[in-house]
Order: sequence, then C-alpha cells, then structure tokens
Amino acid sequence: MFLIHCPYCDEKRPENEFAYAGEAHIARPADPSALDDKDWESYLYIRANPRGRHHERWRHIHGCGRFFNAVRDTVSDKFESTYKAGEPRK
Amino acid sequence: MAETTITHAAPFARYSLRARTPQALEQVTGLKLPRKINNARGDVICLGPDEWLALLPDGAKLNMGDGLPVSIADISYRQIGIVIEGPRAVELIAAGCPLDVARIPVGYATRTIFELVEIILWRQAETRIHIEVWRSFAPWLCEALQRSSVD
Repeated sequence: MFLIHCPYCDEKRPENEFAYAGEAHIARPADPSALDDKDWESYLYIRANPRGRHHERWRHIHGCGRFFNAVRDTVSDKFESTYKAGEPRK
Repeated sequence: MAETTITHAAPFARYSLRARTPQALEQVTGLKLPRKINNARGDVICLGPDEWLALLPDGAKLNMGDGLPVSIADISYRQIGIVIEGPRAVELIAAGCPLDVARIPVGYATRTIFELVEIILWRQAETRIHIEVWRSFAPWLCEALQRSSVD
C-alpha cells in the first residue's frame, strides 16, 4: 500500500483515501474580466506537466477532507513532501 | 468467529459541527470538543481541522447557533451505527480497511474507507469498534462484514 502523509492529520495514510486535484499554486486571476482570451486560456488549460519534481494539489477526501499541496516526482512517483494549503511553495 | 458480533448501534442524535475554531462551537453547544484530529473525547469526534461529529443520546437537542459563524447540522438520519465487538473485531475491519487497524489506539476515531464505502471508524475499546456509515451504503457494508466474518 502506497502511503501519503496528510499535513492536517499529521499521519501517513493509505493512498485510496486521497484524490488528486491537479497542479498546485495556480492562483485565480484577481480581476477575471480584465483578462484577454490568451491569458484566460493559460489560466484554465496550460499546465507545466514536468518530468520529475511536480507541485500538485491533493485532497484527503476520505479522511479530514482538506486540500493540501505535495511535491511528487512524476518519474519515480515518490512524494518528496506535503504541506498545508496556503504555505509557500517548497 | 461466533464470539465476535456485528450489531446495529442504538439510535443517536448526530450533529455535524463546523467552525473555524473549536471554542466558537463549545460556546454555542456547551459540548467539550477534542482538539486533536482523528480523536474522540466523550461523545464528540474531531474529523478534521474544522469539523466535528457529535454522537449524542437519542432525542438530544443542540443550540443551532443562529446568526453566529458556526454550522451545526442535524444529521441523525443520514447514517447509522454498527458495532463490532469481540476478540476478532480488529481482524474483521482489517479485511476491508486499508488502515493498520491493529495499531490504532483506543479513543482513535477517523473517517476512512472500507473497500469502496466511506465510513467513520471509532475504536472504543480493544475489542469494540464503532462504525458510522451512510444509510444507503449500510446494507452492502453489513453484508461485506458478515461475509468476511464467515471467512
């Protein structure tokens, strides 16, 4: 069983309690109506999709229910660290 | 496994309590809330940083905190309780729960899953585990527990 550390529960919990929620640190534009189509497209659809270190959002949906951020290696699938939402990028 | 039993728990008045701080909820409800996530204190379980579940005696009423920045919802009929009691209670849960149930201390309570069904698991004693499950999943869960008890 693959274990993921939840920063809120502060425990390692089984992976099937978690849901993946896409790339992390993508801030919603403060003034959406000021965006042109190009910027809006990049906010909605353009993602980094790196090979290696990736910052992503996860949700402990069958646990405490909270969203948090994680750094995962997309090649080895190893989690480097997890941290609470709102904390600076690691 | 004749000595380990699966029974329906007595009815509870269940309340979902949400607020930014436990103090706000304690002031409104008069209950004592556990501060540690995934732990129970008396009748109340802390499920997350801003979420508690109170399992009160049937018919108990809470002050709903109208107008205050708290959310208190009566969820008595959303879910039912199942009690597994006996020397092999832990083994029975471990059949479908990915947590390391044997290492869970008494007083630990958490939301987790059993196979594909979301449950709240509360270890009340070494040989007694209380499970809360949404009504519509309950027949399936009971069936699954019965079957794993036969195995």
